Amino acid sequence: MSRPAAPYILASLGLMLVLVVLGLRIGSFATDYTFIGRTLLQYNPADPAQLALVQLRLPRIVMALLAGGGLAVSGYLMQAMVNNALADPYLLGTASGASLGAILCFSLLSNLTVAGIYLPPLAALAGALVTTLLVVALGSQRGQLIPGQLLLAGVAISSLTAALGGLLSFLSSSEGQLRTVVFWAMGSFERAGWDVLPYPAAALALALFLLIFLQKDLNVLLLGEERAQTLGVHVARTRWILVVVAAALTGCVVALCGPVGFVGLMVPHLTRWLLGVTGKANLLFCALLGADFLLGCDLLARLLYPPAGLPVGLITALFGVPFFVYLLRKKRVAL
Amino acid sequence: MIRLLPRISSGLLLLAVLAGCQSNDRPATPAAAEAPQHVTDDLGHQLTIPAHPRRIMSLAASMTEMLYAVADTATIVARTQVCDYPRAVLRKRVINSYPLDLEGLVALHPDVVFTTEGITSQDDIARLEKLGVPVYCQRYTKVTDILRGLNDLGRLLGRPAQAQKLTDSLAAELKTLEQRPRPTATRPRVLAITWQDPIYVYGENTLFTDRIRLAGGQNAVTEHFAQPYPALTREYILKLNPDVLIGGSFGKLDSTFFKTYPELKRIKAYQTRRIYGITGDLMERPSPRVAESVRELQGLLRTP
Repeated sequence: MSRPAAPYILASLGLMLVLVVLGLRIGSFATDYTFIGRTLLQYNPADPAQLALVQLRLPRIVMALLAGGGLAVSGYLMQAMVNNALADPYLLGTASGASLGAILCFSLLSNLTVAGIYLPPLAALAGALVTTLLVVALGSQRGQLIPGQLLLAGVAISSLTAALGGLLSFLSSSEGQLRTVVFWAMGSFERAGWDVLPYPAAALALALFLLIFLQKDLNVLLLGEERAQTLGVHVARTRWILVVVAAALTGCVVALCGPVGFVGLMVPHLTRWLLGVTGKANLLFCALLGADFLLGCDLLARLLYPPAGLPVGLITALFGVPFFVYLLRKKRVAL
Repeated sequence: MIRLLPRISSGLLLLAVLAGCQSNDRPATPAAAEAPQHVTDDLGHQLTIPAHPRRIMSLAASMTEMLYAVADTATIVARTQVCDYPRAVLRKRVINSYPLDLEGLVALHPDVVFTTEGITSQDDIARLEKLGVPVYCQRYTKVTDILRGLNDLGRLLGRPAQAQKLTDSLAAELKTLEQRPRPTATRPRVLAITWQDPIYVYGENTLFTDRIRLAGGQNAVTEHFAQPYPALTREYILKLNPDVLIGGSFGKLDSTFFKTYPELKRIKAYQTRRIYGITGDLMERPSPRVAESVRELQGLLRTP
């Protein structure tokens, strides 16, 4: 049912290294590897090319890795929690809630920076949290999460928040606002900076640390609620932990990068396809694979449409969906 | 005060031209008696309009300014929700341009509707034409295209002399501005931002390039992008390293744009505090106020 994970983990780390090295070269300043090596050893911020490398390219790469890892793990958790192959990190309405928060900010505030704080990511985080709480409240009864109810509540609340966001965008008088909303909704790492990276990094590290202890329960839960209960898993408690961790991870990523789609749906499937449903290192590998996938997509986005790059959400879908369909046709993807 | 004089004089000139556009010189021949005009607009659409259109309107704020400068203002039957200049237009009935109030527009029975490329969708144009309303669209890539557009409107509306008078005066004014000695030998490279997140700027293929050239500078964006207002990365702007940044006052951008993107404080424009706000309508609209916008830009470039 499961395969040895070590070779896969090593391969994903190797791929990550290759992608990072490639990613360091992509940008407006022409930089060869000698220059990159010199910059990393002796960083001189007075040189604009070195500044771009260390303050812009590197944080962008790290942000893509963290976002990919976070969304992939979050998707894995959601699929386990509702025991449904179609679940993704945005099941709880996180994406549409975050979008509504950001759109509210773009539409209603004339000044987006107050007291030196750029408000859209905070508004997106607040929108994500409020929506998630609402969906969870609607999807639970007497302290127990009901997966079917949660799924429906997620769909309904997502539709409502998307409609509200659409209404605000429609009423927007500025073409610039509209473009910002559209751009935001497709995800981007362009605004990445060292100052915000600790949040998704801490969320992902904590989630992985916590879930190492839950990996076994998670795998059993994937086999079905009744079987999990028979095997001694505290299903209700595990579900609550999964919801909180997934919501925190997704909220963090969406607030900073926008709702990048498809990673959280596809990567967990790929993980189980490669390592099996009950693999002991599934979550770790899922995080690494998600990180690789999203960084790869960002590099492609920047190469295809320089300098700003295509919105990364477009690339994840354009390149991810055909691959996913291929997998589906080639071999039945296990849940 | 001296700097204000040319502005006042050009304002008076424009007023004089606008005054000349009142309904005192309608052609004596009834419209129905003359053959309609078969014309091709700037986008290559062929359309037929009456010899002397009596009911006209525009779907773009800039085009409304063009019509007010050339047409008999009594023939302008409506404005859109964004048309706000000259102030007299505010008295006209409002027809929503986005989403287009098709029924309201058709009910006004316009002889022809004017618009600008990129403002009215091809779909809306096609639907209007299907309903029997011809749509004439203009395109401007250089400042001279605005003057040509004014003359085209003058011809279509039976007022070529008024249009020519206006464009002659604008051309003379623009020439004077262009020929003013520059304070520095090299033209400062100016980056004009239109939006902060993501960072959208005036691209090489916008009217801004020509306006800033006439003002004595040059667009810092020289690379050709497919979109007129491309999104740029911080790294790209660092590499451009513009001498001047337009998009808001130094204080405003320091507390917003440069707070969001502190890495960009390294650019020359920030280091020398050559960061300026500009009148949005003047900069964005291809209108008869083009000389005014060039003068405003020139004033900024000459600020020590």
